[in-house]
Amino acid sequence: MNRSNLLYNVIAIVILALVLFMFWNFAASTSYVEGKITSGGVVIDTLSTIYGYLYGMIPICCVLILFSLAVAFYLEEWLSHRSWQYRIIERIIAIFACIPSLVYGLFCAYFIVVKSQQISYLTLTIAVFFIVVPVTIRTTQQVIQKVDLSVREAAYALGAKRMRVIADHVIPNTFPMILTGIFTTISRVLAIAALFIVICGWKITESNSKHSFDIPNNAIVLLSSALLFSVISCLFEKKKSL
Amino acid sequence: METNNFSIETENLSLWYGDFQALMDVSVKIPDGKITGLIGPSGCGKTTLLRCFNRVNERYGNVTTKGEIKILGKNIYDSDVSLLELRKTVGMVFQRPNPLPISVYDNILFGLRIHSQFRSLTRTQSDEIVEEALTSVFLWDDLKDKLKTRATSLQLEQQQKLCIARLLPLKPKIILMDEPCSALDAKGTLAVEELMSVLAGTYTFLIVTHNMAQARRISDECIYMFLGELIEHRETQALFETPEHPKTADYVQMRYG
Repeated sequence: MNRSNLLYNVIAIVILALVLFMFWNFAASTSYVEGKITSGGVVIDTLSTIYGYLYGMIPICCVLILFSLAVAFYLEEWLSHRSWQYRIIERIIAIFACIPSLVYGLFCAYFIVVKSQQISYLTLTIAVFFIVVPVTIRTTQQVIQKVDLSVREAAYALGAKRMRVIADHVIPNTFPMILTGIFTTISRVLAIAALFIVICGWKITESNSKHSFDIPNNAIVLLSSALLFSVISCLFEKKKSL
Repeated sequence: METNNFSIETENLSLWYGDFQALMDVSVKIPDGKITGLIGPSGCGKTTLLRCFNRVNERYGNVTTKGEIKILGKNIYDSDVSLLELRKTVGMVFQRPNPLPISVYDNILFGLRIHSQFRSLTRTQSDEIVEEALTSVFLWDDLKDKLKTRATSLQLEQQQKLCIARLLPLKPKIILMDEPCSALDAKGTLAVEELMSVLAGTYTFLIVTHNMAQARRISDECIYMFLGELIEHRETQALFETPEHPKTADYVQMRYG
């Protein structure tokens, strides 16, 4: 590895560590779903769940998706496929991508129901991290690999630098397919969340008289959203330009 | 860069892909303003040699090069050589037509935009450059109404001509061609060959080809390579009619390859 590559790697790792550290602090210090306070205790109804989702999931998903895209572009455009770093990261991603998202949902449920008895950002972030990141990195990598080598060669042979090739050709040509991957991942997260609401909501309602979940409505809302995102991802897939 | 009678000179050039040696002590001088053909069986290192001249090979990471390459008298591995400037001077046309997946107009201007200041070209200047480049490759009449069309939707022959046209605004001194007609039919091949003949003199062409008839038709000088070694480099007619080396004779008389 030459000196400039080593420098890029160190900078990338420092930025990554900083982002994860800040995100971890944010996740660990914020609570997720706030219920409505009524005479019967705290009721977590459909609106609260939707609000919780908008407040909780959107920042988590945005950060994790951007992080995944950055990792995918770094792996495909900067790191040599023969380097040991690439091989190690690839193996780790492959292992996590192969685990069904249901396992992460159940892991999340276990920590909420058995350990903490409340839905926290941190538990949610960990579960969503493992559902979103490996799959998004994988799909984005595959899409980037589909960009015709001859297009890259043509641009490089004309004197274009790497960032120019990425900005002018790789991203515009892969964008619809990257969006398809992102929406499919969000859809998976929502579907898992529906299951999670059913298990945890039922268990929390049963064990804690001060909290109750509107389970069927919440699950239906989440499953409908999952379906909506699947449909959107199909629309983008049709627009793919590769 | 200073000019002499040779556009490209190599001295004991060797190249390895990992442990595999693809070029062995190649020393060659490519004359200015002529068409030089590179022939030889598959895997003999023609394309590798070609790609050395604008350092496109380096993108693959596991390439080791030894020896010297001079373009217009300047060693391209000197620390003060800009890769950007080198690729402006040495243009390249690939085996398969590879227009960028943008409009015809933007394809022509892509290289120029890389090498000039942001928004330094006025609309009128850009239009003139596009017209001039397309006229040089005899595409203006066909494409003047399709400048906003995606270049990938053109016919293969037009795409390959466009790939040549997009080099011209950069005013390169050398154009490397890696089997530029292998994806084209007879009509397309003829059109590209005619274009090369017209442009030769202004530009130095180095063309890799598997088509011996083509090498014979268009090149002024010819280089025969075999298993990474340069076997013979002579005027085309002499190389085909009175080859000095038995390996060259076997190849040009089609007893091998």
